[in-house]
Amino acid sequence: MYDLIIRNGTVVDGSGLPGYQADVAVKGNRIAKIGKIAETADKEVDASGKIVAPGFIDPHTHFDAQLLWDGAAKPALSHGVTTIVPGNCSLSLAPLKADHRMRLVGMFNQIEEMPYKAFREGVVWDWETFSEYITRIRKGLAINVAPLVGHSVIRLWVMNDAATERTATDAEIAEMQDVLRECLDAGAAGLSTSYVDMDETLQPVPSRYADAREVEALAAVLGEYGRMLQIVPEFYDPDLTIARLDQLAELSIKYQIPTTFSPLFVNSDNVDAVDRVMNRVDEQFTRGARVWPQVQTRPIDISFSFAVPSLLFIRYPNWYRIMRFGTPEEIKAHFADPENRKARAAEVADANGLWEKLVLRQVKTEANQKYVGQTLAGIAADRGVTPVEAMIDISVEEDLEAHFLAADMGHNDDEKVVRLLKHPRVHIGASDGGAHILSFSTYGDTGYLFAHFVRDLKTMRLEDAVKKITSDTASIWGIPERGLLRAGYIADITVFDARTVDRGVEKFVQDVPGDGSRYVRDSHGVDTVIVGGGIAWSAKGGYQEARGAVLPGEAADRPQLVAAE
Amino acid sequence: MTDANLSVVRKFIRPQSGDSWATIAERELPKLKTEEGVSSLQSWNLHVYMRAPAPEGSPRAGNPILPSDVIFIEPPMAAA
Repeated sequence: MYDLIIRNGTVVDGSGLPGYQADVAVKGNRIAKIGKIAETADKEVDASGKIVAPGFIDPHTHFDAQLLWDGAAKPALSHGVTTIVPGNCSLSLAPLKADHRMRLVGMFNQIEEMPYKAFREGVVWDWETFSEYITRIRKGLAINVAPLVGHSVIRLWVMNDAATERTATDAEIAEMQDVLRECLDAGAAGLSTSYVDMDETLQPVPSRYADAREVEALAAVLGEYGRMLQIVPEFYDPDLTIARLDQLAELSIKYQIPTTFSPLFVNSDNVDAVDRVMNRVDEQFTRGARVWPQVQTRPIDISFSFAVPSLLFIRYPNWYRIMRFGTPEEIKAHFADPENRKARAAEVADANGLWEKLVLRQVKTEANQKYVGQTLAGIAADRGVTPVEAMIDISVEEDLEAHFLAADMGHNDDEKVVRLLKHPRVHIGASDGGAHILSFSTYGDTGYLFAHFVRDLKTMRLEDAVKKITSDTASIWGIPERGLLRAGYIADITVFDARTVDRGVEKFVQDVPGDGSRYVRDSHGVDTVIVGGGIAWSAKGGYQEARGAVLPGEAADRPQLVAAE
Repeated sequence: MTDANLSVVRKFIRPQSGDSWATIAERELPKLKTEEGVSSLQSWNLHVYMRAPAPEGSPRAGNPILPSDVIFIEPPMAAA
């Protein structure tokens, strides 16, 4: 008698080998048998006409805060993602002293667009250490979590205010090593650091004040555990990216650790850049380094309103400053002033035709409904103003609640993107799930992979796409007993329809604590998602059992590896 | 990077404790006058030079260089 049987599906087992017809039986939290199964089970899933694959693993997310009020990391789980890696880019929510909470909240607000009010109303601050944070998120966990610990947070813990003032002393570095060991012992999957992020005062985050010897000392600790080092390089410049990946390669070889950098984009303004970076990746792998570039599947879309500071304006200091630090009244007054309106319009005039292409996607007033769905070029022509002036005027008229979409802003050269996605030294990831919640939806990248590159363009085999986001990811991160459908492995399984799997349209929903909003996408074509042997989500039943685990977890929790026969 | 299997890429250094544009210029570009060296470094490292200034009173005020920075000590290489 099994607990669960998935019948009549096509098993695409994550190895990249061709799919085959078989049933899959689950007993407890493990796959018990794959093949023709005559026995019955308490629960059965009819997978006729569908793909039965390992659960997808998303290696670059920022669900650290969301996991405190939503153990399913909605809607990631419904897209077939069974394991997420939060804590990227030097930011995690532990270890965190009570005195530092508001500083970190400020960083999460600035970098990940998580509202202050969500922390005020959605978070009970009942942890300080990493171990206490893990205990906290384990309650009600429906998705597996392999959390990184953030370098900026470790620096704050050890150095307090000096974390954003100077390099560390030898004694402070030794203390950081000890803190990192405690985090790894408590279940951290590795360490993340950043060379680009800014805090809420628009000054560099603490990790950027670290010198090379500090990073090396922390990498040495990762080497004791064989865990991951993740960085955000200056991804906008290939020379800088190459310099960073060279540094990673040295650490990878010296301490025998896997490393990853994210993101790597196809840049339409510099089409050779990605080839240069990948050539260097190949050279470093040939030397024996592990420097995995993470590449996202989706093109870059940015949605925004004037009510919150948008990434789109970060290149324009006067725009960004008023949006970042102004109250709604101050922002409205600023843009309603004719002199400011003229100056701001002139400041962004040279944007390679960006503004003309923006689409108005949502307004509040009846008067402007006629413009919804139109480009700013069209609206501007109707109003007899420039596109930027039209954007400013409508934003003021709508009390800053006019929402615009800048679609396909980059990483949209399908031929180059798929070449990257298929590259054996590329790690599919960089979804940023749970972050940038007011700029774009970070959900549905796996649906887009199958719908766009596998089904529509036919530039990638289904089996290869599955492998890339399951067993490859598990291998890169050293996650045992997941990522493949094998008897004896943990039963993290996604059942989906290859004919219909996709990401839904982006929509703006209000489901963040404190009446906050975010952009999300529903899943299409995903039928059933199984985590740890339990049905965590299904298209018919919605969110169900919560059997998520923390990976790799504390030593006592880790699965015992069994030698191959 | 000195490994023989690696192709040549743009040379860079990591700042030493207390480094400024001038100290890096004097150490890495000794054939140039300090002002010329500083000017060259700044033009090759706009990611640092164009950084928003640190607030007044900050230990970093007046010096945009961070300990974690990559500082290029030569111009971009010509496309292959």
